[in-house]
Amino acid sequence: MRDEDEISDLIVRFDAVTLQRLPVRKHDVLTAFTAAGNERAARIVSAMPERDGVLVPEAVDRLLVRVHCEMQRISEEFQHGHRVAELLRPLLEALRVQGVERPLRVVDVGCGTGFVVRWLAARGGLGADVELIGADYNRALVDEAARLAASEGLAAQFVNANVFTLTEPATVFLTTGVIHHFRGPDLVEFFRQHEQPRAAAFLHFDFQPSVLAPFGSWLFHAVRMREPLARHDGVLSAVRAHTAATLLEAARRGSPGYSTAMYSTRLGFLPIPRSFHTLVGVRPGLRAAFMEKLGQRADRMGPFA
Amino acid sequence: MSVALALYALATVDAAFCGYRAAAGRSALIAKRHYYQRAMLRGALWGQVAVAAAAGALLAFVLSSSEPTEAWHKLYAAGRRMLIVYLPYAGLILVAFAARAVPSVDVRSLTSTLVFGPMTLLRPFVAVAGMGWAIASSQDPLLGAIGIGVLALMLSMETLLGLRYRGSAWDPEAEAASDRCAAGAPGSGLPRER
Repeated sequence: MRDEDEISDLIVRFDAVTLQRLPVRKHDVLTAFTAAGNERAARIVSAMPERDGVLVPEAVDRLLVRVHCEMQRISEEFQHGHRVAELLRPLLEALRVQGVERPLRVVDVGCGTGFVVRWLAARGGLGADVELIGADYNRALVDEAARLAASEGLAAQFVNANVFTLTEPATVFLTTGVIHHFRGPDLVEFFRQHEQPRAAAFLHFDFQPSVLAPFGSWLFHAVRMREPLARHDGVLSAVRAHTAATLLEAARRGSPGYSTAMYSTRLGFLPIPRSFHTLVGVRPGLRAAFMEKLGQRADRMGPFA
Repeated sequence: MSVALALYALATVDAAFCGYRAAAGRSALIAKRHYYQRAMLRGALWGQVAVAAAAGALLAFVLSSSEPTEAWHKLYAAGRRMLIVYLPYAGLILVAFAARAVPSVDVRSLTSTLVFGPMTLLRPFVAVAGMGWAIASSQDPLLGAIGIGVLALMLSMETLLGLRYRGSAWDPEAEAASDRCAAGAPGSGLPRER
């Protein structure tokens, strides 16, 4: 696991409170990558347009939309929508059994162009009592997600907001490929924000580090991605993904009000690690109902703590 | 004739998949069946152009030869060698497609991990190996030159098919209007890059 920045971490900055876009000086980004010895990232950034030394926000946004589109292609190939629904459906059923207040609000944190939320709205079959919301700091990505949802008539909302401060609180927090962006104390702080009165569960999907992960990630990003930024960040994501132990420890420290476990780390009974693993957190009172609703898939759940 | 038909079928299917790959990752909609069907059809049709060009060159090779029968035998032998390399590759892809029909997230993901991803990476090498063996065995410079031209077409097909999606050559909103298959990537919600 490496604490190395991805390009997309450094080319956009937002005020944490107002979500106002902050200018990013190209020289600062280049200096950061050069100092880290990442010449490839520096070359990619050096090709980005600048205005008065500042990366042009519109150009960065266009690039990020294209990159998210390419990422969606891999998510589709690897059936990520189905993967999320496989866990979310039994979780929502368990919440209904528990009589949790409706609507059941599923919030995708850092949704990008909203693939998961839009897929769930189109194909998830989650039920009329479920509200799907995608949130991201980047307004351009949120706007694109909303445009795509509208063009297909999907019942999903997208907000440019910090989800942990929404007036309408989440029932379930969801992320895909997001949590490895939080490092050290920030990861614990991220989980601390899950401790909200109405929040009942979280599902965080991310790359599972393994010996094979860097090669596998390189291969798929080489053959499936076109944007150099997508290739660079995609491979680095797999390299610096958190181990299950790191995620569990951070979750247990940050959000002790949840029972947490890792789901689906191995391929059946084979000693083959999956590309993705899932950190599952449920309120203790929900755990038994959730495991029951999971049915045979409960075998894939690691030990709760 | 069966060798020529088999190569024709392989070339058409390969071009269709080039069309698919050229379109993939450029539309962020969820429902993309028609988008991909059109992309594959476009690939297959452009594949016919490439096949026609190759067939024309090969016909000229045979007709211009002082020994047409021998030239035809050379072609047949070269085609057989290409099939010996290409058919196992195509067979593996076919088996993976059959497996992908199983409605299991794990099985489908495995087909990508074990077959579709690696085989996409290997495709240029397989193409070169088949053509290279055919050319080397024929020991005919003219046939070699035609083979290299055909190989260049095979390897550039995906890039050429992808040209329509670049910049202003592609109007995602017009495509959306035709069957609701809009494209998200080149910034239909953002100012166009010029």
